Amino acid sequence: MKKRSVTDFLVIAACFLLLTPILSAHRVTDFMIFCIFVMSFDLMYGYMGRLSFGHMLFLGTGAYCSGLFIKYLTGNPFLAIPVGVLASGILAMVIGLIIVRTTGACFSLINLAFNQIGFFLVLSPLRGITRGEDGFGVRVASFGFLNFANPTFKFWFVLVCLLLIFYLLKRLTTSPYGILIRSIKEDETRVRFLGYNTFFYKWLTFVLAGGVGGLAGTLSALNYNFVNPNSMDVHSNVGVVFASLIGGAGNLYGALVGGVVYMVISNFLPIYIHRWEMFLGFSLLIIVFRFRKGMWGNIQDIGEYIRKRKGVGGPAAGEASKG
Amino acid sequence: MIYTILYGFTIGAILYFISIGLSLTFGTIRVINFAHTLTYTIGVYLLLTFIGYFKGFFFISGGLAVLVVIPLSYVIERFIIRRLYGESLDYTFIATFAVSLIGVDTIKWIWGVNPYPLSDPIGTYLAVWGLTFPLYRVLIVLVAVILFFALELFFKKTIVGKIVVAALEDKDGVRCLGINVDKYFAIVFILGSALAALGGVLYAPISSIHPYMGLSVLLLSFAVVIVGGMGSLRGTFVAAFALGMVMAITARYWSQGAETMVFIVMAIVLIFRPIDI
Repeated sequence: MKKRSVTDFLVIAACFLLLTPILSAHRVTDFMIFCIFVMSFDLMYGYMGRLSFGHMLFLGTGAYCSGLFIKYLTGNPFLAIPVGVLASGILAMVIGLIIVRTTGACFSLINLAFNQIGFFLVLSPLRGITRGEDGFGVRVASFGFLNFANPTFKFWFVLVCLLLIFYLLKRLTTSPYGILIRSIKEDETRVRFLGYNTFFYKWLTFVLAGGVGGLAGTLSALNYNFVNPNSMDVHSNVGVVFASLIGGAGNLYGALVGGVVYMVISNFLPIYIHRWEMFLGFSLLIIVFRFRKGMWGNIQDIGEYIRKRKGVGGPAAGEASKG
Repeated sequence: MIYTILYGFTIGAILYFISIGLSLTFGTIRVINFAHTLTYTIGVYLLLTFIGYFKGFFFISGGLAVLVVIPLSYVIERFIIRRLYGESLDYTFIATFAVSLIGVDTIKWIWGVNPYPLSDPIGTYLAVWGLTFPLYRVLIVLVAVILFFALELFFKKTIVGKIVVAALEDKDGVRCLGINVDKYFAIVFILGSALAALGGVLYAPISSIHPYMGLSVLLLSFAVVIVGGMGSLRGTFVAAFALGMVMAITARYWSQGAETMVFIVMAIVLIFRPIDI
């Protein structure tokens, strides 16, 4: 681990800790789970350039599988987390074989179709075990201080998960693999020309994004102690797309910023503005037509501008935003 | 079983009205229009308002609703869609989704969130060989078939239609002939939106009316467009009726599974014939 990434970790942790007194520990835990989800989405959209409109499928699968595992087998949360991640990962492996063949609009739509199928399965044919629209409660066992009923422990646990995922994705996206998936975003045919099996790398990215999405779902099941079909709702997909765009796609810091900003907007804006869906629509339009780089991209631009004024300008900061 | 088939034809006709515009805008401007069924929903709500004024003259109010949708769709085209020509697909997707969010919220603002019921405007039944069919549904299917032939004529015989067909094949080639393609694309977009509104108006008495009604239909019509082939007029016609039939037959045996079955068909089609866009 380089010195820079240690500082990054400390800054991220400090930011979330600073949010805690302003909001509440429970809310910040919620924010962090959403940030994990946005990062998994960003791996697929921002880095590989495949916009999915059905990413909630993996969140829902993680939440349901871990929830059902706890409900019917054991109450051990530390076994349930790998179960949720694995379930989403395996699902992504299977449907990924079909989905990653497509690009562009078809990719988005077929994801949406699978998400709709999953939502329907949970709601209707599997009603017997998932309890349909009502959802079911999740009661986890506690081991000494490892107690998920304690909000403070939950907060720290999710924070560690967030940092871990951040570290993992940071390593992945700066590795040769990361460069490869970014090249697939730019021009897939040329990458194939260079002799790489692009299908495998796309599939791998899909599986990784699915697995991390499943982790977010598992954590949200543990956080709320409750699972219901909302965790797989097709309509919620717009939230994660919005968060990824507002923060700046193709950048993990952007994903974090976007996740927090979106959660603040969706939690607090409806209190003040009644027509908040309309607000969301107009801000999406403004982002698409004016601020494509998102908030993090603009912050970086300002940073670079200041550095240039000082005359120490280095390309290091600019490089991260290109991805 | 006869009723199931008639139901399938009705659904297919409605799907055809809605997806033809989607297919055409997709084939010409390469914009995935998420806001397409916004005009469908708006058409239905306008119909409700006009029916209040005209004391139940369904067809007059329906026609007026479709006419009012036309300038509205021009506004959407002029200020949103036209800026998206040549953009990458993600941004068009998100921008049109934003438009549909704004539109749905506006509908909720003006008309409220509660669903409205609307009764069958004709109410008479057609008796053939001892079987009785609701006349209204037969009428919907007839309108769809007439529309299909009218569109075929329009795209074969008129100059506007010919330009659009040529642009579906090769947009730049048509532009090189000195034709302002964007103008014709706008016409196509408005035509598609008006047809979607017509579909909404015709479907309203059979279905329930609520602000989110557009979204579920949108997913179905995406499935139609993908199964039928992007920008293919006949393919859309066949796919709409085939998927309508799939829905009707599934609904007969397993009523909750109807919409999901359509997506399963779409997934199967995509596996065997992936589309590169």
